[in-house]
Amino acid sequence: MFDLTDKVLKIASKDADYAEVRAEHISSSNLVMKNGSVESAEFSIGSGLAIRVVVDGSLGVAFVNSNDMKEIENAVNSAVSLAGKASHGMKTKANFAPEKPNRAKYEVRQKKKVEDMSLDEKIALLKELEKSVVSQKINVPMRFFSLNDELRHKLIVNSEGSKIESVIPKVNLFYMLTAEKNGDTEQRMNQFGSSAGYEMWDSWKIREMVPEEAKMLTTILAKAVAPPKEKIDLVLSPELMGIASHESCGHPYEADRIWGREGAQAGESFMEKDSIGKRIGSAAVTLVDDPTIENSYGFYLYDDDCVKARRRVLIKNGIVNEFLHNRWTGAIWKVPSNGAARAGTWNREPIIRMANTFVLPGDHKVDELFQGVKKGVYIKSYMEWNIDDKRFNQKYTGLEAYLIENGQLKGLVRRPKLEITTPAFWSAVDACAKDLKFSTGNCGKNDPMDGAPVWFGGPHARLRGIRLG
Amino acid sequence: MLDLTEQIVKKALSLGASDAVAEITKDKTHQIRFANSDITVMQNWHQVSAEIFIALQKKVVSTSISDLSKDSIENTLKNLVSAAKVSEPSSTYKGLAEGPFKYKSVEESYDRRIADLGDKAIDFVYSAINAANAKRVAGVLYSSSWERFLSTSAGINASEKGTDIEMSTRAFNEKDESGHGVACSRLLNRFNPESAGEKAGEIAKLARKPIAADAGKYDVIFDPLSFADLLNCAGRAASAFDVDAGFSCLAGMLGKKVANFRLSLYDESNASNGFGSVAFDDEGVPTQKTAIIKDGVLKNYLHNTSTAAKYSTRTTGNAGLVAPYPRNIVMDAGGYSKDELFDEVRNGIYITNVWYTRFQNYRDGSFSTIPRDGIFLIQSGQIIKSLKGIRVSDNLLRILQEIAAISRERDWIHWWEVEIPTLAPYALVKDVNITKSTM
Repeated sequence: MFDLTDKVLKIASKDADYAEVRAEHISSSNLVMKNGSVESAEFSIGSGLAIRVVVDGSLGVAFVNSNDMKEIENAVNSAVSLAGKASHGMKTKANFAPEKPNRAKYEVRQKKKVEDMSLDEKIALLKELEKSVVSQKINVPMRFFSLNDELRHKLIVNSEGSKIESVIPKVNLFYMLTAEKNGDTEQRMNQFGSSAGYEMWDSWKIREMVPEEAKMLTTILAKAVAPPKEKIDLVLSPELMGIASHESCGHPYEADRIWGREGAQAGESFMEKDSIGKRIGSAAVTLVDDPTIENSYGFYLYDDDCVKARRRVLIKNGIVNEFLHNRWTGAIWKVPSNGAARAGTWNREPIIRMANTFVLPGDHKVDELFQGVKKGVYIKSYMEWNIDDKRFNQKYTGLEAYLIENGQLKGLVRRPKLEITTPAFWSAVDACAKDLKFSTGNCGKNDPMDGAPVWFGGPHARLRGIRLG
Repeated sequence: MLDLTEQIVKKALSLGASDAVAEITKDKTHQIRFANSDITVMQNWHQVSAEIFIALQKKVVSTSISDLSKDSIENTLKNLVSAAKVSEPSSTYKGLAEGPFKYKSVEESYDRRIADLGDKAIDFVYSAINAANAKRVAGVLYSSSWERFLSTSAGINASEKGTDIEMSTRAFNEKDESGHGVACSRLLNRFNPESAGEKAGEIAKLARKPIAADAGKYDVIFDPLSFADLLNCAGRAASAFDVDAGFSCLAGMLGKKVANFRLSLYDESNASNGFGSVAFDDEGVPTQKTAIIKDGVLKNYLHNTSTAAKYSTRTTGNAGLVAPYPRNIVMDAGGYSKDELFDEVRNGIYITNVWYTRFQNYRDGSFSTIPRDGIFLIQSGQIIKSLKGIRVSDNLLRILQEIAAISRERDWIHWWEVEIPTLAPYALVKDVNITKSTM
């Protein structure tokens, strides 16, 4: 389909103010192992064209996965025609924010290529993880592993002269373990992902982590006690700081949410257009979204509007600094895009998506955070989490969590619940450690739903004066 | 296309596969998204794809491709057989359902006028926006027509076509004053986009000046929109695959009481005008109505041929070749009018919508979900205040146990948050745990 892009762009440009053609070819695989049995091995090859046009301030998109030029032409003409008709009743018309033409070609180099990994090699990886759990003679009766990889080749051309071509591999592991004791259960869900080949497997340290987590579940069932009810200090791991960064900072700073474009689906935002410059957290908090981190799961160098990617500083020393924009919100607010447009796959519209969202490390040693706590709780991992659709009230329920007394880690506490508003969360952070670690996720937004690969993370951080639910 | 699926199956067998399934789907989908009472984007999908599944000595592999040329298919099949040879036998794969079967077309499932809707869809959008009569309205309209063709090595050659249309509308007035309404149908004359707008607008108007609520135990009336979200969780938990993988609080409960006697819950994959209805599942087995929970007792998990064999029962026509799944979740109506249901509540909360339902533990059912849009305090059967900032933090099995009254009125629900079409009533649930931010 890549050889059709120029021809299709010419057709789409004829009656449109802006036209763009995105061609993608994705070869992917998915391997599922449940309780030791290979349940499914799937290999997919998908390709398609996404054609976007702007006609009199109205946006139309056609998605086609046929090579038949007649069918493609019909789809394009239909998109142009319907966008034109829709423009008649529109009050807010938007072209795309101005952008100089960009031309680039880039590829993520792999050491152990996803396309060269055989099925039996992948099965061996999962069997090793399965064995690491069952060989411990602990009661973990349900074990679910899902291993995915893909190689995505993408070419975008637009009527302004931009041409961006990329080749990006990805590897992703998801697992869930269920431990049981006398009818009581605990579960751990976790995910690892990188834009790289299988060389990243070792760096995830998954061989050590899976059996440790399985054992930890059984220890929680045996030993964890209720968390304290009074006001305490809280130390959160990078895993917790990561999910909070993504949910209560990244999402509400998406300009399309703030404008209302996702109102009937993923929701809006408690942020307002004029929130820039206002305090949202303590001076210890600087929070960024950065697509350019090498091998990160949310990696890209140019977004799907053909805008060069850069680090976005969302919160600077506790002050709201910048929102995430694509060229559509940029046009409406008359600001430049900062390169946040992304489509998860060929048949989705590029809209504003986070990439890798994280709190920048501070200057404390991790030990120092604990030493400053007289009575507190350390939450290392979580299972249940959610946040309202304006991103104001959030909840994280701890899985592996410990009591802290006089700076020392004591016994396990069970399911501590942090239910807190966004300003209260970020204002309570009094110190961040020097470490930095990322978690992997597939962020849900857009309609139809489009899971975007992301990282989220941060350092260990300490929050003062917290009441757990 | 049925010729092509047949050829794919024959070719797979000739290359050494012991079982083979080929399914081709073609769809044309149109979407209009709108926000702030304006159209924001119009999107069209023209897609065709083939799913191919083979088993070779119980080694199971599958693929999805969009290039249906002869060379592409032959290469794909060769690669698939090669992959199967180095794979491991599945201990759970038990073969395909033996056909042929006689199929009954799903009633009220195809309407040419939906396939030919064109720019009339724009009128539907503005009729919903106008019906909401709100300061701002957001939403989406989808219309779709599709065909599917299925052949298997167990004697299946079947095809069907369908159409569907749906509207999801959210109305906004002042800060934190919003409401949501949905409408979906397989036929144009059963589709009422204004009703989605009207409901969204009415709730938004009623949600005027919401105040913070107190945490605690409340009797809660769930609107069909919010209860459908919880019923989706229950329906998914009925998949035998999810049961075995640890994603279900219904594991080990067959034949046991898992809910109040008032609850009867089904998968009705062949429901007339059912938004997810199909005539046959992914193995070619005719779809049916299956009781998941009957009078509070867990009667069946949902099965394909392989999971059914493990549980010594028959397939329920819910394949997924790997994981069975529900296509339409249907809850039996109760005996109450909506007003009578409200009259049952002395001090409670009416929750019109929820989102972001997440489990701390799928196995034991502990979860939370967040009400969005109108939330109302009810006293002595009357709505007296609009509320905000609460969360349902409870257990799915406990909620099903505490169902105290069910309405006669039921609505089909399908939208961004409720992925499995669900026919849900208003439901009164006792002593629901309501939490909120502590700071």
